[in-house]
Amino acid sequence: MVDQKTLAYINMYAVLGTLENLCELVPEASALLAGKKPISIGFDVKGGPSATLTFKNGKCRMEQGVKSCDIKLPFGSCEKFNGLIDGTVTPIPSKGFTHIGFLLKEFTSLTDILTRYMRPAPEALEDKDFFIASTSLMFYTISVAISQIANNDKVGRFTADHMVDGDVAFSIKGGPSATIRVNNHRLVTIKCAPASPRAVMEFSSIELARDLFDGKVNAVASIGAGTIEMKGMISMLDNLNRLLDRVALYLA
Amino acid sequence: MSFKINKYPQSRALFERAEKVIPSGVYGHLGPAEGCMIPVSAYPLFCQKAKGSHFWDVDGNEFIDYMCAYGPNVLGYCDEDVDAAVAAQMKISNCTTSPPGLMVDLAELLVDTVASADWAFFAKNGGDTTTLAIMTARAATHRKKIIFINGFYHGVAPWTQKVDYPGVLEEDVANNLYIDWNDFDALEKVVAENEGEIAAYIATPYMHGNFIDNQLPAEGYWQKVRKLCTEKGIVLIVDDVRCGWRLDLKGSDHFYGFEADLICFCKALANGWSVSALCGKDSLKNVVSGITYTGSYWMSAVPFAAAIACINKMKALDAPALFRKRGTMLTDGLKAAAANNGFNLVVSGEPALFYLRLADDNSLMLHQQWIAECVKRGVFMTNHHNHFINAALSEEDVKKTIEIAEDAFKAVRKNNPVA
Repeated sequence: MVDQKTLAYINMYAVLGTLENLCELVPEASALLAGKKPISIGFDVKGGPSATLTFKNGKCRMEQGVKSCDIKLPFGSCEKFNGLIDGTVTPIPSKGFTHIGFLLKEFTSLTDILTRYMRPAPEALEDKDFFIASTSLMFYTISVAISQIANNDKVGRFTADHMVDGDVAFSIKGGPSATIRVNNHRLVTIKCAPASPRAVMEFSSIELARDLFDGKVNAVASIGAGTIEMKGMISMLDNLNRLLDRVALYLA
Repeated sequence: MSFKINKYPQSRALFERAEKVIPSGVYGHLGPAEGCMIPVSAYPLFCQKAKGSHFWDVDGNEFIDYMCAYGPNVLGYCDEDVDAAVAAQMKISNCTTSPPGLMVDLAELLVDTVASADWAFFAKNGGDTTTLAIMTARAATHRKKIIFINGFYHGVAPWTQKVDYPGVLEEDVANNLYIDWNDFDALEKVVAENEGEIAAYIATPYMHGNFIDNQLPAEGYWQKVRKLCTEKGIVLIVDDVRCGWRLDLKGSDHFYGFEADLICFCKALANGWSVSALCGKDSLKNVVSGITYTGSYWMSAVPFAAAIACINKMKALDAPALFRKRGTMLTDGLKAAAANNGFNLVVSGEPALFYLRLADDNSLMLHQQWIAECVKRGVFMTNHHNHFINAALSEEDVKKTIEIAEDAFKAVRKNNPVA
């Protein structure tokens, strides 16, 4: 069963957080911000996450909290915030009315582009650059969602309770990397490779990663086929796989 | 000394065929994923033949085997005495409408051999017996809850799995309580918190979890557990599927100086022929009689014949003493080979089921490299699980293993020079 609070954390950090990577990987996205004055949007969810997206110099960065933002969007519940992401709720700012144009124009365009890359039309994936960017963005979203599920979802917390401390290197060979850091059964995702991983899970190609994300191939079968490399503290990867299994529940 | 480095083209070709028609090619503990074959390219994937303490893969590579089919191979593959009993019984009967008289012979043999056994109930796999043990405890006590030791493995039925495993419902494990091994205070606490609700405490004779050093019972632990279970009306179940017959022919509970209410056997019971047994105290015999529990092949004669021959041969050999001697010789040699190359090999658990870990990094990556180098040179071990010894393992096998291990350590050292 989908837990709305967990979904809100995923929507905040894994989905909206992927705007950071969108602006790096997709020129069309960074072009929307070119020549614009820096601006920040705070999302404040009652009983859930709060974070600020800052857009500056064609880049986007997410930070926790809403202490200093130009536009503040309060949400009365996790359900309301999740409604923003699935398009059923229109946000009403509590601050930043003079910046509403950015919210309606550039920000909406950015999220539209993100949706296009995250839920691509099959024919769009035939373009190699689009395919790589789309799969890389999915990778970052999933990497962050893993930690949010481990920290918030009831079953995910059970999984995290069985994980030992250390960094897991989670990556696509020749492509994006992430660190899943476990500390006292809390997980955090860092969008770069760890210096000293305690466990490694690497997909041999971006095509394989795509097939795994799309559910066309199975991770266990891929390990046998040698297309997923795993090494190190395998119990961490066993548990990571259980978390990955639940990502589909939330992001399908 | 240097050794041939194995290659596995036939294994790989067969695996590619398998992937097309079998989920994940080879599923479960014998497969490359769950079997932690790291890297997969270092390991054979299919067996061609086996004899004694050796097996040959489909590429013709020979291995000294320290996994023993993950336990069932206790006397040696294709043991002449067991297989002669099998061949003889195959000419008479196997799976029949009325059960064979051999079933009674085997039950009597178990009752006479296993210290805590007043009766025996037969099935096929270890999980059949752990499930029956749990059902028996619940039927006897009319209680729901079961105490487990963290890191446990008692089979693959839903109740033995965890809430985050695919296909397992929250309801399947809603009555499972978890404590740490050797933590008697935690056991007392969980019993107090669930007064009158706990049907059973289930554990292996010692903690042989994966990826961690195995832990023997603390002094007096089992005796305190026995006393508490008796006082609180909790059924004490020993899952002896893995250790059974390798530590003590009278049962691992006997080895550690206590008596289980129910004890589960499989693996080494019949040297690879498919039979398992739940044995128990007389007080639970009528309870088991009332439980609906059976299977198409559970009373087949051939595995019974194998089990009788196997138990009698283990008795004649004093197999547990042999395993202790060989296991100690082997692990002492492996530790020395590690030290010769500047590594610290930690050995834990009982010598018959030793667990190995290179303690030079906390990621197990060095350990995985070393095990892979051993496998490539013809010593089959795993990097995540305890190992097994069989009675056919010779001193020459042990000596050769240590030589290969030393060569493997040199290879690992070459790839990981001291800074």
